[in-house]
Amino acid sequence: MAIVAVENLTYCYPQTTQPALHDLSFQVEEGEFVAIIGANGAGKSTLCYALTGFAPHFFRGELTGQAMIAGLDTRQTPLEELMLVVGLVFQNPGNQISGAKFTVYEEIAFGLENLGVPPGEMRDRIDRIMALTGISDFATRSPYALSGGQQQRVALASILVMEPKLLVLDEPTSQLDPIGSREVFETIRAMSKQGMTVIMAEHKLEWVATFADRVIALAGGEIILNGPPAEVLTSPFLIEHHIGQTRYTTVASRAQAEQRWPLDRALPVVIDEAEAGFRTYQPKMAE
Amino acid sequence: MQDNLSLYIDRDSPLQRLNPLTKLVLSFSLILIGFLGPGYWLATGLFVCVLVPLSIWGKIGPEFLQRTVRLILPLALFLFVMQSLFYPGGRTVLWRFWIFSVKLEGVQFAYLTATRLMNMVGAFLILLLSTHPSTLMTDLTRRGVSPSLTYILVSTLQIIPQMRNKANTIIDAQRSRGLETQGGIRARVGALLPLVGPLVFGSLVDVEERAIALEARAFKAKRLKTSLIEVPDSVLQRQVRIGLVVLTLVMIGIRLWR
Repeated sequence: MAIVAVENLTYCYPQTTQPALHDLSFQVEEGEFVAIIGANGAGKSTLCYALTGFAPHFFRGELTGQAMIAGLDTRQTPLEELMLVVGLVFQNPGNQISGAKFTVYEEIAFGLENLGVPPGEMRDRIDRIMALTGISDFATRSPYALSGGQQQRVALASILVMEPKLLVLDEPTSQLDPIGSREVFETIRAMSKQGMTVIMAEHKLEWVATFADRVIALAGGEIILNGPPAEVLTSPFLIEHHIGQTRYTTVASRAQAEQRWPLDRALPVVIDEAEAGFRTYQPKMAE
Repeated sequence: MQDNLSLYIDRDSPLQRLNPLTKLVLSFSLILIGFLGPGYWLATGLFVCVLVPLSIWGKIGPEFLQRTVRLILPLALFLFVMQSLFYPGGRTVLWRFWIFSVKLEGVQFAYLTATRLMNMVGAFLILLLSTHPSTLMTDLTRRGVSPSLTYILVSTLQIIPQMRNKANTIIDAQRSRGLETQGGIRARVGALLPLVGPLVFGSLVDVEERAIALEARAFKAKRLKTSLIEVPDSVLQRQVRIGLVVLTLVMIGIRLWR
């Protein structure tokens, strides 16, 4: 069943005439992990804001078409009601810390307090989500005393504990180092495996190829590709629209140009595919 | 670097465990009685007989005295110098030097003002040193104070140090590009402009993101909020609070009646 149904969605920020999103239509099934890729300014963040209702409720501007999230029309439903079904995690970890709480444990409780969850149930849910996100050791520390990766996991846990039906992530690892990125991606993967619907805008294509069930590529606020990672991430359109490719696809396509990769074999998007491809073909090259 | 501006000292004591509202009412009562109550020695008495024993009861005695002295000493010295020399209407000269003369009335006025201020600072310190901001705000929110107001109060304690960190980063960045930020006043004032721009504009962007983060955490959800922290209260404490309010009103009444 589709948890996200977007139809002819167009959105303009206030005091602009050029739409940031133009005539988007797509659906996301329950439990699916969809990655949104695109160059800077392609509309990834705006799409995240449109799917969570921040566009137009928070940013104002003009939205036409329709975005239905778990049966709620984002334009008609107040933001505070949308936040009960959809969670948003964005780039800057520091700015997602509420500032209202002095320990990580209390910080994660903040959303539940706002939802009116009883303290006993609150503690159960917090303990569970802290274990899942691997931050149990930081429970009594100040959220501001953590590294970027740890802070982002706290931000993620703070949203996940509210048990949204849909999790929207806007480049959650863009300000993190490789270790911090891995920590965050592993947590998101764990949530996805538990059946949570995830939509993630992301630049790191290797991770997208590893995790996503489906990839939507944006350029100039429009969808240019929508399909399985192996199909989208090897498309020549990505180079054309300055989105790039995974390192494995680039190496294999260069090898293909030098007849070192079989023409009938699909280009790889993850390391295992690349390794398998090169292993099977190299004996022939030696002849 | 310190993560927040809270003065709270985590000690296991009955004062720490008191309901925050009781401590808040006690602090304001002591301040009002100290300023408006009758008697020259009242503020001194309150400090010595109420605030100091309270700080010992709360196991925060040394920190309480240290902070009170540090805050009040410069102000008290200034008051004594200015009032003893220039108090209008001072007639009883205690000591004379060149064109200056120290008058008894000025010294007495300076003492009264200094002890009242010491009482006020001490009362606030007892509250702040023995009460965690979260507990105070949780209790106030539970009693009907707007969550937005308590959020602003608590978040300020944490966000100011973050802004200070950010300012230091900007200064380092400007310095690495050759900007003089140390030395004379002119160099320091000159370094202010390249700091203010990025700090202010950066903070405006941060405010927008913080607002989104708060919305995402259902801060504006129209539901009855609950609290992770359960703040204890008792009938006795409620009675003490009422008693303190009545006592304060009586003291103010005596002052007005006189």
